[in-house]
This record gives sequence, C-alpha cells and structure tokens, in this order.
Amino acid sequence: MKTGMLKISPGFEEIMPPEYRELVDNGPYGKNYGINDLGSYKELLEEHPLCAGCGLALSLRLTLASLPMPEDTVIVGSTGCSALAFPQVALHNIHSLFGNQNAVASGLKRALKLRFPDKEKDVVVIAGDGATADIGLDMVMQSWLRREKITTIMLDNEAYANTGGQESGMSMQGAVLNMAPTGKKFPKLSLPEIAQTCGCAYVAAASPAKPKQLAKVVRRAILVAREIGPTYVQLYSPCPTNYKFNPKETVSLIKQREKEGLYQSKEYISQEAKAFLESMEVKK
Amino acid sequence: MYLSVRVDTEKCIGCKICITSCPEPNVFIFLPEQKLVEVNESRCKACGLCTTVCAKEALKIG
Ligand SMILES: Cc1ncc(C[n+]2csc(CCOP(=O)(O)OP(=O)(O)O)c2C)c(N)n1
Ligand code: SF4
Ligand code: SF4
Repeated sequence: MKTGMLKISPGFEEIMPPEYRELVDNGPYGKNYGINDLGSYKELLEEHPLCAGCGLALSLRLTLASLPMPEDTVIVGSTGCSALAFPQVALHNIHSLFGNQNAVASGLKRALKLRFPDKEKDVVVIAGDGATADIGLDMVMQSWLRREKITTIMLDNEAYANTGGQESGMSMQGAVLNMAPTGKKFPKLSLPEIAQTCGCAYVAAASPAKPKQLAKVVRRAILVAREIGPTYVQLYSPCPTNYKFNPKETVSLIKQREKEGLYQSKEYISQEAKAFLESMEVKK
Repeated sequence: MYLSVRVDTEKCIGCKICITSCPEPNVFIFLPEQKLVEVNESRCKACGLCTTVCAKEALKIG
C-alpha cells in the first residue's frame, strides 16, 4: 500500500472491525492487482446482501478487481440492486438519484479536474439497465455527446430487478417477468450502437462468463476515458431471482445464450483510442 | 446448520476458475504453495455456481 493511504489512528487498532484491519494490512490500494490475484488479497467488496448466484454481484466483483487505480477512483451508482452492495465497497462512491448517475459523474469529473489538476482521478459509473437505458438515458447520452471523460458501466440483468421484476429497455422481446406476465413487446435496445454513434471512444459488451475478457474491457474503458473521451461497457449479468433459473446456472446460461447467438461480446475502439491503448499496452 | 461449498483437496489442481466465478467476495483463498483453494465457509451462500465451473469436480455443496 502507498504509505499513509489507509491507516488506523494509533491506539485504535484493537477496536477496528477485523474486515477493516484486513483491508489496511492486505488491501489492493496502490498494488496494481487484477483478477488473476483474486483469492490472495482482501477485496474491495465485503459481504453483500445480493441474492445467491447473482450475476450482477459477480460482474461487480470482477469489475472492482479490474480497476487500474482504485485508490484514485470514485464510482457513481444509482438506485437498483447494485446500490445495495455499494455500502460494502471500500472505495469513494456516490449514490445518485435513480437515472441521474451520468449527470452527477460529469459534474464530479469536472470538479476533480479543477481540484486536482495534476492528478489522475477516474470516475466510473456503475448502474443497472433501467437506470442506464431507460430513465437515465437522457443524462447518459448527454454525457457522451458532451464528451465527458467518464466510463459508464451497465450491469445488464435485463430487468428492473430491485423493484420485483418489471421489463426494461434491455429485456429481450418476449421476456416474461413477475410484472410483465404477457411478455415484452419490443426488442432489446442496442445501447452499444447508440454509445458509438454518440461519440464514445471505446465501447464493449462482455460478461462474467469470460472473466479475463471482462477485466480487459473494463481496464481499457477506464484508461481511454482518462485520456480521450467517454467510454461504455455493457456487462450481461443474468438474474436468477427474477428470471427464475437455478442460481448455479448463471454462467452456463450466458454460455448457452452465446451459443444460440442471443448474446455477443463486442468491442469498438476509435482510431485515437486504439493508438493510445497500443502505446499503453506496449509500455506495460 | 448452514450449507457451504467444500473443496476436495485430492481433486483440486489450483486452476483458480472457481475464484473468478463466485459472486461473493473473499470466499475462496488461494494457497500458492499447495496449489489449492480453501473456502471461508461463513461467507459462502451455497449457490453452487462454482461447482458448475470446476472441471475437476473438486467442489461440492454440503
Ligand atoms: C426516481 C426514481 N424512480 C423510481 C424508483 C424506484 N426504483 C428503485 S430501484 C428501481 C429499478 C432499478 O432497475 P435497474 O436500474 O435495472 O437496476 P437493477 O435493480 O435491475 O439492478 C426502481 C424503478 C426510484 N428509486 N427513484
Ligand atoms: S475450479 Fe476446481 S480445480 Fe480449479 S481451483 Fe477451483 S476447486 Fe480447484
Ligand atoms: S457456492 Fe456460490 S457463494 Fe459459495 S463459493 Fe461457490 S460460487 Fe461462491
């Protein structure tokens, strides 16, 4: 750990909770850990209340483990399942009003630039599909059109899960949910295409069924947002509770869907971003 | 009595696939010397997801 980044005031060591002490002694700050190191350090996330087998929890965990610079990252979330886990995340994070996350993140990024002109500060939005593709779409698109240097990560569970299972713009056509009993009438929105059209320098779709790929795209998206412009990552994160499948099938379901051509991983990199990433990845 | 996943140390080869497939943080601990994983049982929700990805069938819920 970088000296002094996280420390316990002398005399308080004994009374701090063991999870906190563990984070101080064995946390990931300043260490350049990635998903390959999981299992050998204290993760940024503690026990969370999300359902057993939750695909979104898995995506969140892998995303947090892929942050290039957790000590200088602020994540902005929105109401939804992921927000339930945010209090257990050992990172600066903001809970915004449902759908406002990209507006909050844009302001925050600009403020951090003014406050710390010589320092890199990554601002990463992590929100559900309802918050990103439906109610927040206006703010999401405006942040892209205005070229705000932030990364937007959608945890796509294809439903409003936290409110009991309504269809969202990201549900597949025909999807039957608790509160959409006759099935969705419209096709799934293609947000990666919209992101590309709105000027995102880097756009990717991935899933936790391929953790290394997920880690790579998250890292690339954050690096490109730091230097070039807005970036977007969509993580397909199936929900066993609302889609009523066995929690142990979360990963096999993604693979099955990929086989059937109903889910595809994607990556779009602008010319400028490509040149930048090449220079970064050679340096490494 | 809570359920948790258990590791058969005879079968585990330490490939770490289970570690990146578990939705819960800080459950699996990797033991580099033995090339094995260990489970923090109090953190496992027994969803069984890791049992479906382990090619060595080294994990069981019990
Ligand atoms: C302004 C506002 N409108 C509606 C809600 C109710 N609400 C809370 S969570 C949620 C669903 C979130 O869905 P999504 O963004 O897809 O996240 P998920 O729960 O699926 O992870 C809604 C509609 C709210 N909290 N605030
Ligand atoms: S996936 Fe199976 S073999 Fe690989 S580390 Fe986990 S328990 Fe061991
Ligand atoms: S059963 Fe579920 S919670 Fe327990 S270790 Fe396996 S994947 Fe993690």
